[in-house]
Amino acid sequence: MKVITTPRSETFPAANNQVPELIKAVPVRHPGRWLGAAVIVIVVALALQSLATNPNFHWDTYALYILDVNVIRSLGWTLLLTVLSMAIAIVLAVVLTFMGQSDNPILRWSSWFWIFVFRGTPIYTQLLFWGLISVLYPKISMGIPFGPELFHFTTQDVLTAFSAAVLGLGLNESAYLAEIFRGGLKAVDRGQVEAAEALGMRGTKILRRIVLPQAMRVIVPPTGNETIGMLKTTSVVLAVPFTLDLTFVTTSLASRTYLPIPLLLVAATWYIIITSILMVGQHYIEKYYGKGVDNLTAAAVNPAAARASAAGTGIGDSIPGGSSPAGPTTEESGR
Amino acid sequence: MSAPAHHLSQSASLRESKDLVAIEGVHKFFGQHHVLKGIDMTVKQGEVSVLIGPSGSGKSTILRCINHLETISAGRVRVNGQLIGYQEKGGKLHELHKKEIAQQRSNIGMVFQRFNLFGHKTALENVIEAPTQVKRQDKASAKKRAHELLDRVGLAERANFYPAQLSGGQQQRVAIARALAMDPELMLFDEPTSALDPELVGDVLNVMKDLAKSGMTMIVVTHEIGFAREVGDTLTFMDDGVVVETGDPRDVLANPQQERTRAFLSKVL
Repeated sequence: MKVITTPRSETFPAANNQVPELIKAVPVRHPGRWLGAAVIVIVVALALQSLATNPNFHWDTYALYILDVNVIRSLGWTLLLTVLSMAIAIVLAVVLTFMGQSDNPILRWSSWFWIFVFRGTPIYTQLLFWGLISVLYPKISMGIPFGPELFHFTTQDVLTAFSAAVLGLGLNESAYLAEIFRGGLKAVDRGQVEAAEALGMRGTKILRRIVLPQAMRVIVPPTGNETIGMLKTTSVVLAVPFTLDLTFVTTSLASRTYLPIPLLLVAATWYIIITSILMVGQHYIEKYYGKGVDNLTAAAVNPAAARASAAGTGIGDSIPGGSSPAGPTTEESGR
Repeated sequence: MSAPAHHLSQSASLRESKDLVAIEGVHKFFGQHHVLKGIDMTVKQGEVSVLIGPSGSGKSTILRCINHLETISAGRVRVNGQLIGYQEKGGKLHELHKKEIAQQRSNIGMVFQRFNLFGHKTALENVIEAPTQVKRQDKASAKKRAHELLDRVGLAERANFYPAQLSGGQQQRVAIARALAMDPELMLFDEPTSALDPELVGDVLNVMKDLAKSGMTMIVVTHEIGFAREVGDTLTFMDDGVVVETGDPRDVLANPQQERTRAFLSKVL
C-alpha cells in the first residue's frame, strides 16, 4: 500500500538562523494601577489593625470555641448533610437527565414536572414540608392501588429529622443539577452522537461513553459551585427541624455566652476551611475531565510545533529547514 | 499504478458481482420540504460509486438514509438484500428495534465531513471504541488491529495523540481507520475532504484510493472531480432531489448527456 504525505521541495531556501536584534521597548506606565493598589493596601492594613485591636471581636472566646467538641461534632453533621444530599442529588439528576433525553414522552414530562416543582418552590418551604410529612401521612403503606396492602411502617420511625433534612436538600438540589447536566449535554456537538450511532453504538452507551465524559468538562465547575452552595444551604435545616448542624450549634452557643460575634467567626472559619478543601477536589476533577482539551500543551496544539517536535524525535514528516534532510515521504508496503 | 488499468480490471469483475446497495423509489421530506424525489440507485459489491451535485441536491441526505441516520419517507433501501430500518411482515412495514438498527449500522462505515472524532479519546482509543463496545472484542486484539489500521492510513506515530493535536487531514484519516475497525462491508463518505486545507486533501484521497483498490464497496459524496474520474466506477449527478445522470465517470465527465449536468460541470471543472 502506498502512503503519500504532502511532497516537499528539496530546493527550499535555507532558513535565516541568525538571531536579529530583539526589541527592547520602554513599557507604557500605569500610574492608576499603582494608586489603586496603594488604596487597597491601606484598607487591608486598617482592617487587620481593627481585627487585632478591637476588643469586641473577643478572640479569646473564638480560641475557646474553634475546636470545641460541640462545634467539631456539628461540623461533622454539616459535612454529612452536604455529602449525602449531594450524592442523592447527583444520582437523581443523572436519572432525570436520562429521562429528559428519552424517546418516551411520559418519562420526559415526568422529568420536566419534577424540575418544575422542586425548582419552583423555596428550599425552606420544602424542608418545612418534609418535617411535617409525618403529620400528613402518619403511616406509609405499600400495596396495590385500590387493592390489598402489602406492608406498612410508621412515618416518624423512618423519616427522622436527619433523613428528612437530607431528603429535602437532595430532592431540591436534584432539580438544579438536572438542568446543569442538560446544559452540559447540549454543549457536546451533535456530530459526536451521529459518529457513535454510525459505528453501531446506541442510546445509553453513547450517553455514558461519548457524550457524558465530554459534557463533564462543562458540568463539573457549576456542580462544584452547587456543592459549595449546599454546604451553606445546610444552615437552613432548622426548618425541619434538625438542630445539630454548624450554624444552629454555634448560634445556640452564642446565645448561651451572649457573645454572638466570636461564634459567628468560628462558624465562618469552618465554612471557609471546608470550602477550600472542596475547591481543591474540584480542581482535580476538572483536570481529569479536561482530557483531550485542557491537558494538551500549547506547543502540541500548534501543528507546526507538533511537526517540529515529531521530526526532532525522528518520527513523522520531515520538515524543510529541519535538522534531518528531507527524506522520501513516500513509503511503499506491498499488500 | 495507472488508474485506467485498475478501472478496467475492476469493471470486468464488477459486472458479475451482486448488488450490495439497492435504493428503490426513495423520497424524503423534511417537513414540507421535498428533498429526495424518487431516487433509484444500485451499488455493486466492490464498486466505487461517486455522487456529485450542487449543495442542497440531496446527495448527503441519500447517503445518510443508507445507514438510517435519516429515516426515509417512501421507498426502500436495502443493503446486502436486507431492508434498512424496517422489516416487511404481512405486506406491512414494521420499524426495527434500535438494537437491530445499530446492528445494521455496525456493518456500514461512515466518514463525516467534520470528522467527528471523539474529542476525549486519543486516536487509538477512537479506533478501538466500537470494536470493544459493540463487537465486544478484547482490548488487546482490538489495539493490535487499531495499530495496523493507523499504520495503513499513515498515522502509526500518532496513536496517542488527541484529535485536537492532529491536523484536519490526520483527523479524517483516523476517522477512516475508526470506521474500518468494524470491518464494514460498505463505506460511506460524506464530503470527506470538504473541510480540509487544500494541501491536506491529497493524503485523505490517497487513503481512499488504496481502500478502493483493496476492493471495498464505497459510496463517496464529493466535489473532487479528479478523484471521481480516477477512482470511481460509477458517477451519479444529482440535482434538486433527483438523479439527473449516471454512468461511467469518464463518459459522464467528458460527454454529459443532460443540460443540467453540463451546466454543473462547466462550473466545477
